Amino acid sequence: MSHEGYLLLFIAVLPFVGALVPGVMIRAGRTACASFAAVPTALAFILLLMLAPSVMRGEVIQAELEWLPQLGLSASFFLDGLGLLFAGMILGVGLLIILYARFYLSHEDPVGQFYTYLLLFQGAMLGIVLSDNILLLLIFWELTSLSSFLLIGYWKHLPEGRQGARMALAVTGAGGLAMIGGMLILGSIAGSYNLTDILEQGDAIRASDWYMPALILILLGAFTKSAQFPFHFWLPHAMAAPTPVSAYLHSATMVKAGVFLLARMWPVLSGTDAWFYIVATTGLVTMVLGALIALFKDDLKALLAFSTVSHLGLLTMLLGFGTQAAAVAAVFHIINHLTFKAALFMTAGIVDHETHTRDIKRLGGLRHLMPVTFVIGTVAALSMAGIPLFNGFLSKEMMLEEASHTYWAGSAYAVPVMATIGALLSVAYSLRFISHVFLGPQRDDYPHKPHDPPFGMWASPGLLIVLVLLIGVAPFVADGIVATAASAVTGAELHPHLKIWHGVTPALWMSVAAVAGGVVLLSAHAPLDRLWAAAPRPEAKAIFHRLVAAVVGFSRWFTEVTHNGAISRYLAIFTLASVLVGWMAYRGSGLPLPTRGLLPVPPVIAVGWILLIAATAYVVVVHHNRFQSLVLIGIIGLMISAGFVYLSAPDLALTQISVETVTIMLLLLALNFMPQMTPKESSMGRKLRDAIIAVAAGGSVGALAYAFMLRDVETISDYHLANSYEGGGGTNVVNVILVDFRGYDTYGEIIVLGIAGFVIYALMRALLDGPAARRLRTLEFGYNISKDRHPLMMVVVTRVLMPIAVVVGIYIFLRGHNQPGGGFVAGLVIAIALLMQYMASGFFWTQARKKIEYHTLIGIGVVIAGLTGAGAWLYARPFLTSSYTYVHWPPIEEFELATAMLFDLGVFLTVLGAVMLMLYSLSRIARYAGETVNVEPMDYDPGERAEEKVEA
Amino acid sequence: MSWLLAVPIAIPFATAVFAFLLRNGAAGRWVSVAGSAALLAASAVLMQAVLAEGVVAGQMGSWPAPFGITLVADLLSAVMVVITAIIALAVSVYALADIGPAEERLGYHALFQVLIAGVTGAFLTGDLFNLYVWFEVMLISSFGLLVLGGRAEQIDGGVKYVALNLVSTILFLTGIGLLYGMTGTLNMADLSIAVDGADQGLLTVVAMLFMIAFGVKAAVFPLFFWLPAAYHTPAFSVSAVFAGLLTKVGVYALIRMFTLVFDHDTGLTHTILLWVACLTMVTGVLGAAAQGDMRRILSFHIVSQIGYMVLGLALLTPLAIVGAVFYLVHHIIVKANLFLIAGVADRLTGGTALSRIGGLYASAPLLAALFLVPAFSLAGFPPLSGFWAKFLLVKAALEIEGWVIAAVALAVGLLTIYSMTKIWAQAFWEPHPEGREPRLSDLPAGQRWAMLAPIMALAALTVFIGLFPEPFVAFAERAAAQLLDPTDYVETVLGDRG
Repeated sequence: MSHEGYLLLFIAVLPFVGALVPGVMIRAGRTACASFAAVPTALAFILLLMLAPSVMRGEVIQAELEWLPQLGLSASFFLDGLGLLFAGMILGVGLLIILYARFYLSHEDPVGQFYTYLLLFQGAMLGIVLSDNILLLLIFWELTSLSSFLLIGYWKHLPEGRQGARMALAVTGAGGLAMIGGMLILGSIAGSYNLTDILEQGDAIRASDWYMPALILILLGAFTKSAQFPFHFWLPHAMAAPTPVSAYLHSATMVKAGVFLLARMWPVLSGTDAWFYIVATTGLVTMVLGALIALFKDDLKALLAFSTVSHLGLLTMLLGFGTQAAAVAAVFHIINHLTFKAALFMTAGIVDHETHTRDIKRLGGLRHLMPVTFVIGTVAALSMAGIPLFNGFLSKEMMLEEASHTYWAGSAYAVPVMATIGALLSVAYSLRFISHVFLGPQRDDYPHKPHDPPFGMWASPGLLIVLVLLIGVAPFVADGIVATAASAVTGAELHPHLKIWHGVTPALWMSVAAVAGGVVLLSAHAPLDRLWAAAPRPEAKAIFHRLVAAVVGFSRWFTEVTHNGAISRYLAIFTLASVLVGWMAYRGSGLPLPTRGLLPVPPVIAVGWILLIAATAYVVVVHHNRFQSLVLIGIIGLMISAGFVYLSAPDLALTQISVETVTIMLLLLALNFMPQMTPKESSMGRKLRDAIIAVAAGGSVGALAYAFMLRDVETISDYHLANSYEGGGGTNVVNVILVDFRGYDTYGEIIVLGIAGFVIYALMRALLDGPAARRLRTLEFGYNISKDRHPLMMVVVTRVLMPIAVVVGIYIFLRGHNQPGGGFVAGLVIAIALLMQYMASGFFWTQARKKIEYHTLIGIGVVIAGLTGAGAWLYARPFLTSSYTYVHWPPIEEFELATAMLFDLGVFLTVLGAVMLMLYSLSRIARYAGETVNVEPMDYDPGERAEEKVEA
Repeated sequence: MSWLLAVPIAIPFATAVFAFLLRNGAAGRWVSVAGSAALLAASAVLMQAVLAEGVVAGQMGSWPAPFGITLVADLLSAVMVVITAIIALAVSVYALADIGPAEERLGYHALFQVLIAGVTGAFLTGDLFNLYVWFEVMLISSFGLLVLGGRAEQIDGGVKYVALNLVSTILFLTGIGLLYGMTGTLNMADLSIAVDGADQGLLTVVAMLFMIAFGVKAAVFPLFFWLPAAYHTPAFSVSAVFAGLLTKVGVYALIRMFTLVFDHDTGLTHTILLWVACLTMVTGVLGAAAQGDMRRILSFHIVSQIGYMVLGLALLTPLAIVGAVFYLVHHIIVKANLFLIAGVADRLTGGTALSRIGGLYASAPLLAALFLVPAFSLAGFPPLSGFWAKFLLVKAALEIEGWVIAAVALAVGLLTIYSMTKIWAQAFWEPHPEGREPRLSDLPAGQRWAMLAPIMALAALTVFIGLFPEPFVAFAERAAAQLLDPTDYVETVLGDRG
């Protein structure tokens, strides 16, 4: 990279670096912030001027850094004539705006933020005009949308500011998104995202099939940004921004980005009919329409906004013509528009600042009160009107000249006539700006007594009108830059000679007509204004808002329909979706033929099967009665256990039956606190709908299961059978799978169980602290409670059963590795034994006799299991690698010790703890609901009676 | 090598145990922070190993695959674990200020760490049934976190959450059973070979069961209803970690299964995924547009963004998978951060309903600046991470001439901008309706920094990825290459058998 390349990189980065400073200087004054914003801008400007001579000589300065080579994105910049022109405008006007804003903003405004956003915006704009990679350009493009959003909404307390900012972002953001698509297509046609490469492939691109989509998408980006009809409506609403922002965004920068893009892409995209008709027509319509609306705007800034729209239309039209001369005119007008429009915006700001109003109807006669402002405003407005000796005249003449020999759909008059009308309207609103603000009688009802602002405030527009006059009188001073920029746009060596007098040409007559017509129009402004106000016309802002409201309304409707909060609807949608995709897959293939036959069905099994089906069906019928449902669920569980027994899976049967027991017992206890019946919620129609969905889903799953069970399959279980004893040290393969082969699953599952216990506990605590507690307090049990809640018989039986159950539990645990059983079942068996004690003697009697916290039990269980697994790491083996050995302790027979058993112990403890914690939670709720505490093991103790008798 | 894989799961479990034991004092929360930091270190080591050596696998209990349970990390798994650790650390620091002693006593930190263990477990497992176990671990702990405050709306959201997720879990389990019935194996690498010999038609039907089951987890259209019903109710820390991580486990599972195992009939499966992706993007963003509450808006945007990730999977081109992987990483950071910011906004202004709050821009400019980063990253503005994520996917769509798909992806971006600027305009720009001037300095210094430090760190990460996307895209390319050609994965898991 050349020395100049580094300078170029530095220029591109400077504003971003500079942006960091003012933002953090929250308490610094306006001058300090402005200075810190001015320094990087000025520095970049000076550096740019240093590079300018080589560019004027026709060199292109390039700089490149790798960024994301996989996507063809590099941070490459280049400075050619067009870039130089725009960069100069961005930085030069930037400096003037920084100065102007220093005086315009008040003490209360957060000035640091303002300058940060301004510099961010400046950097983004600079990036657009210097990018040598269209993806990079795109990034800067989006950045201008973002930073202008922050600038437009700077006065956040104004609703118009917020709305204007969001509208601007929505419109330009949408264009930006379209442009992403367009640029991607363009890049893939050209095979490179490098702008220099793309610019060389104009013919190939125009010939490509994808030219049209790329063109339309890119134009969408350019038109939204440059406020072309029908996307023009955001620009006037962006006027809620502070005036320095408007002056910057709408004269030199933001809106010119679209024009810049058209100019940049000119060599590649222009020259086709599509280009001409889309771009030139849009520009022409925008030019006339914008000028027409501007004439009837009473807000100074709105007038200028629509005049900006109109002038952007003019530029777009010129570029749309696709001729070299039109391109020269466009480049020249870009410069001229910048000078007079920035000056005019600043003038409007000064008037607003001094008189506290921007309403033209409340102004007039300011020429003696604000002489300096009057001069500045008048010069700039005359230039905008296109009066000779001001620079606006020159480029307008060139425009009319180009328009005068442009055919539109075979018509020689359409474009010239329309262009003349546009120019005419332009004259009218420009003169109105002068006469209705400055001329006329002095008034005594200004909201604030005006006078000229301090020098700092009018210095910037003052400098600009010097340029207006200089170029207007001696246009050859702009020869160099216009030539360089226009050559860069067209890709051809151009040497235009700008001069005031072109002789008596059609353009001159068109000009004369425009000025004369404009004056006439202005003199008839008052009646026309009334006509305008009475005429119905579409309000773009209202249409935009209706569009947004329609989208939001649709969203709301859609969301409410689908998210009505009913879980049954969610489940119905879920089930339908499942059946639907399943059917789609099935339709494509069908089910395969079975490879084995059905097993015989013995009568006992048939009975069990019928019971299972009947119980399931009956649940559907009686589900409103919770108690009956529970009984039926118990039957279902029992039948499934029986099924496991029949299918030679004793371990599963054992587990299933203990789980069923515990679950049903806990559910029974929980039912205490719930209404006996569930409310009837579904209408008949919905029941029918749900029935159809359920049958479809159930039938599908059944069919699938049927298809699978009639097929032979080879599984990995042979390995488990073969290695259970050899590798796992146990003959009960199911248990070895649980604690060894797949111990990791079990480890996860006991954590799930333990957490479930905690969650129930936490829920109970939260409930008892919340509003539900009140309901519990007043809960009326709708049935009779036994007087003898803790009957003697039950107490005695459970006490007797306790040691037996514990021994059984230990037995089941110990034999688990070789026979059906194991820690999980053992934990449940002992939990059942304890559960029975609680049922017999009441929770608190039993609770007082337990020695260990259930929380802790779960914790210990998980830790034991975890440590057993991690212990393998000490031997440099993977987690949960098991080991076993045989021990011989006389007089006991030789027995086996496996680490897997330790793991199983963890399972055992966790299961026990979790079940007990659930029970504990339920009994806490019972306590709260008014259940009394018993201190004795039973309500009626015959032993006590006997003692009393003895004492007596 | 296997400890490399087991440790990222073991650390949060161990942390959970300690945090639980110390739940009654302040120590528990610091244990949680320390545990998350340790997890981050462990995940970094894992990532280092995977980068250096390719796929890493470990057989739990020393049983050779496919007979035992395999843990395995390719680049996708590794990066998901790293990002999980980052979010865990950020949220556990944030929780120092966000979670009150009442919730701590009920075991918030333990539940949180178990959730993290479940998430890392799901990312690291190479076994289908083990994945189910991790789903259970996540489900139960997230349910606990969801209902921890015990408010009526929490219970309501929690019940919907758990009901719909349980149903999907049943479907998942059915799918596992059927797949085992067809292939006789549960090891994913083994499955990827075994399915070749299975009946292809039946396999597609089973694939659908998995698509629905994971689709519920990932919250895709039309299965996402549980998410907006629940995510706005719990503590902000919980919302953040849910928003960042939970749905992404579903997306991860979809990506894993539909690149490794179910790639036999992409004409059908991935076409359905494509429709699902587009509809998810659209319905999510429309749902968001209808909301007026910050957290609800953000919740619907999770759904919408999931669509983009599924889109990457559905297109199944190398670039699209790169996009999906990049999107996953970007999205987790950004989304979690937005919820964390919503928490601060809630603390300062007294709510998240946009009509009742405001004024944050004027009085808390730092928060405003911090909001801009993830919000505009989500909307896909350059130079933030979200831009690259969307860009990759749009480019991928255009490469296969999927005009409509690209248009949908871009249009959804526009509506995302709409929602983000709605939050910005109403919560930040507009003055507070009660005239309050919410200041960050109103918070005690300790709490302030506990909340702001993670937000700042995540925002910095977003900006960093945005400014220096090259290494991340390069990484995603390697990850995508592994996904599209799982030879290394299968061989590493199965050893010689592969």
